[in-house]
Amino acid sequence: MARELKQLFVIQRPPYKSENPKLALTHAMASQTAEIYLEDGESVVPTLAFVGDGVLNVLNNQQAMKHYGLSSTENHVQMSLLIDLRVLVCKEDLEARGIGEDRLADGSALGADMTIEVLPFSAIMAEMEAADQLLFF
Amino acid sequence: MKLGVILTEQARTESTYERLQAEKLSVVLAGNGIYHAVVKADGKPSKVLDKAADFYVLTEDMETRGFTAGDLVDGKIKPIDMSRLVDLIMVEHDKFVWL
Amino acid sequence: MATLTIGCFSSLVGSMSLDFAVKLAKAAKEKGHDVNMWVSGNGTMLSKKGQRAFKDYSYLAKTVEALIADGVQVTACEACAESRGFHKEDTMENFKRHSMDWYLAKCVVSDKVLHIGGE
Repeated sequence: MARELKQLFVIQRPPYKSENPKLALTHAMASQTAEIYLEDGESVVPTLAFVGDGVLNVLNNQQAMKHYGLSSTENHVQMSLLIDLRVLVCKEDLEARGIGEDRLADGSALGADMTIEVLPFSAIMAEMEAADQLLFF
Repeated sequence: MKLGVILTEQARTESTYERLQAEKLSVVLAGNGIYHAVVKADGKPSKVLDKAADFYVLTEDMETRGFTAGDLVDGKIKPIDMSRLVDLIMVEHDKFVWL
Repeated sequence: MATLTIGCFSSLVGSMSLDFAVKLAKAAKEKGHDVNMWVSGNGTMLSKKGQRAFKDYSYLAKTVEALIADGVQVTACEACAESRGFHKEDTMENFKRHSMDWYLAKCVVSDKVLHIGGE
């Protein structure tokens, strides 16, 4: 029987000090290959939502490779967009930190068609309601 | 949505918790989150308790830190054990999150 | 009875969140539920064999062995483990290792998921 599981990954912590935000992104991207463990017709569709200090993960011009030899969280956001995952960012939390939308990661450089969606928290709350499962990071 | 939340931190630096809304909301205070149940801040109960929710505190984490049910700052907080938490997760809520 | 999948990123030593996750898994199993457990990031420390019990450090090996023997599927993120130098030969017996897609697939077939991702 066909079953599409909708997961919402809510990232609420800033990048780099903790591994958790990047693990959220890598786990979400792993949905691409989860089908090898599933029955025909079963699938998992994660959506990423960045709230609170988590919005700091989606900034552009991250230079983790230059300074630490690590792929940046920005790159993981771009990769998520490239594989057509929805990436939601809380509007109020960007504004509270003085971050304009021009500072957000852009997946088009990698060929992504998807773009980051900046939404009010109420809309992200509605996504939580609609999801089958919630995973907070 | 029937949503359960497990709070395990004493100090909070983000506002996700304050903004969460659900038709039925339950908050389980575990780990260092139990301090919201037993310690006041500036003479007043923790603002965590201001939320319109059912509140639970994990007895074993409370006792681990030297507190008992007699120390609860508000009668609306119900002490529970791990078995009861399983029921809250598996039976009484649609989703459960660890903030 | 239903299926619970627990994910945890916290380390065996240095955090009590993994203790919580294992206690919850045990309690759920005792109530008759099926339980899957996924450890990723620092949580992969749980998979290391040869853990020694001290009274000042969390020690979960015996409980985890019992859970596995009781049918709980306990699995570590392979890449997270390898990056920390925990190789297959270092892994506790019957403690599985898979890539992250295993966790997502288990979520699909679970009635409830508790993800302990933040600290």
